[in-house]
Amino acid sequence: MNRLAVQIGSLELENPVLTASGTFGYGLEYDDFFDVATLGGICTKGLSREPRAGNPPERICETPASMLNAIGLANVGVEAFCRDKLPILRERGVTVIANIFASSTDDFVAIAERLGGEPGVHALELNVSCPNVSHGGIEFGKDPTLAAQVTGAVRRAVKLPLWVKMSPEAGDIVAVAKACEDAGADALTAINTIRGMTIDVDAERQRLANRTGGFSGPALRPIALRIVWDLVGAVKIPVIGIGGISTWRDALEFLLAGARAIQVGTASFADPCAAQKVLAGIAAHCERHGTTVTELIGRARR
Amino acid sequence: MAPHRAQVVAPLLRRESMGNAYQVLTFDVGRDLGALPGQFLMVRGAEWGDAPLLPRPMSYLSGGATPTILVKVVGEGTTRMARAEPGEPFSLIGPLGVPWRAPTPGRRAVLVAGGVGVAPLLFLARTLSATGQRPIALYGGRTKKDLPLDDDLALITDLHLTTEDGSRGQKGRVTDALGALLAEDVEVFTCGPDRMMAAVAEMCARRDVPCEVSVETPMACGYGVCLGCPLPAAGGGYIYACTEGPCIDARRIDWSRAERAPSAGGAAS
Repeated sequence: MNRLAVQIGSLELENPVLTASGTFGYGLEYDDFFDVATLGGICTKGLSREPRAGNPPERICETPASMLNAIGLANVGVEAFCRDKLPILRERGVTVIANIFASSTDDFVAIAERLGGEPGVHALELNVSCPNVSHGGIEFGKDPTLAAQVTGAVRRAVKLPLWVKMSPEAGDIVAVAKACEDAGADALTAINTIRGMTIDVDAERQRLANRTGGFSGPALRPIALRIVWDLVGAVKIPVIGIGGISTWRDALEFLLAGARAIQVGTASFADPCAAQKVLAGIAAHCERHGTTVTELIGRARR
Repeated sequence: MAPHRAQVVAPLLRRESMGNAYQVLTFDVGRDLGALPGQFLMVRGAEWGDAPLLPRPMSYLSGGATPTILVKVVGEGTTRMARAEPGEPFSLIGPLGVPWRAPTPGRRAVLVAGGVGVAPLLFLARTLSATGQRPIALYGGRTKKDLPLDDDLALITDLHLTTEDGSRGQKGRVTDALGALLAEDVEVFTCGPDRMMAAVAEMCARRDVPCEVSVETPMACGYGVCLGCPLPAAGGGYIYACTEGPCIDARRIDWSRAERAPSAGGAAS
């Protein structure tokens, strides 16, 4: 029996440990460190319809137990991903969740359709919450009506399991979550980064060229956990927890709060094997306590 | 490219103060990972916990089974490194990035170093020295305290020191002495502050002298994932310091867009 398997809608994952979009490239970059096929899955760098160069430097900055990033969704584009990356991932048996980004509903649908025709893509994760681009992104994720519109359009276009990544900046995140659920989302990912800022007091200007950047890392964890808790209580579809998870104990907090799976993000920068270690720790915990991941999910809610 | 990079947890073997804010750290990796001059590694204390969060990119000062780095204290991470005691475990990810290109036969190497940028150039000089070559080195700093490892460089290069305050060597900048050297069959390897490298690159371009730079930028990962280390590319767009550098032909960089705020120089903070 696999103690670690979890069910996300129609998709069964070998284990609940995924890597977060934007912190794991296209998966292949970690080949030298460990076998990424052993993870529950990887969420790709956000894919757009056309390649994107991204923002000017500086793009990143460390802040206390956290960092800011304003990469600007630099990526190879959906075509190059399908041509150059996906065949290798498929060959390697990696569970691939394609994170996609667009500035219009039509483009979201076009990217989804392109990926929907490719074997080896196991689910789509809609990035309606990127804080670092001037058009699209976070606007969709702040507004229940817009979020539902994008989710519904992609839902009608493809059969793939559909996850929607929540923005912590939505005024009423529960309303956005429910709107996505009603529009046909199979799962919600929570949370994306929240915008932060830092100023270089010597240069007397913001450190990041984009002025603000997405705040991530361990310092974000209590906020993410609270939001995951709220969402689990508000929707019936699975919630995938993300935000500052570095260790297996961090991951357990999210599972106990009711998250069906978790994503390791910024921790992979501090330690490229972070996700692998989180998985090993969860496995050891289940073994020690004679339990399964599924039994652990939501136990703190009793 | 199939690098043999790896993550190892290795104890600090030795820490030697170079005076002022500079320290040389030696790690006991136990095996030679094959680092070449110009390559770098990501360094983080294995017991740092949640902060400082990110590993720091550091050029190899030497490779082998007991690799060394030169640390300049500029922020929290480097402060922790500068206080580390022998035995303290560090996570090291490397070797990463593109090394210095092989020197062209028939051209004499001119190494232009600014402050802590001496590290990858001293590694290069040692490699050249091992094959019987003696490069010219121009080494500059703000004061005499900003010329760590100058004695090591003096042994194996024809060394010209400069300081901005005249406290050591010639008063002025490294670039003051460079012009006269560019008339001969030389090629330039440079590492230092962006402004210095931009000036060196421009001088070399005007004289049609090959110029290789080793860039320093903030990085979170070191191997092409975070995309936090873009350099403005000549002709538009970006190239990434970690995978296409840190050693790169100076002509591939658009120096007019490359200048950073002085205090934002590098992730080594």
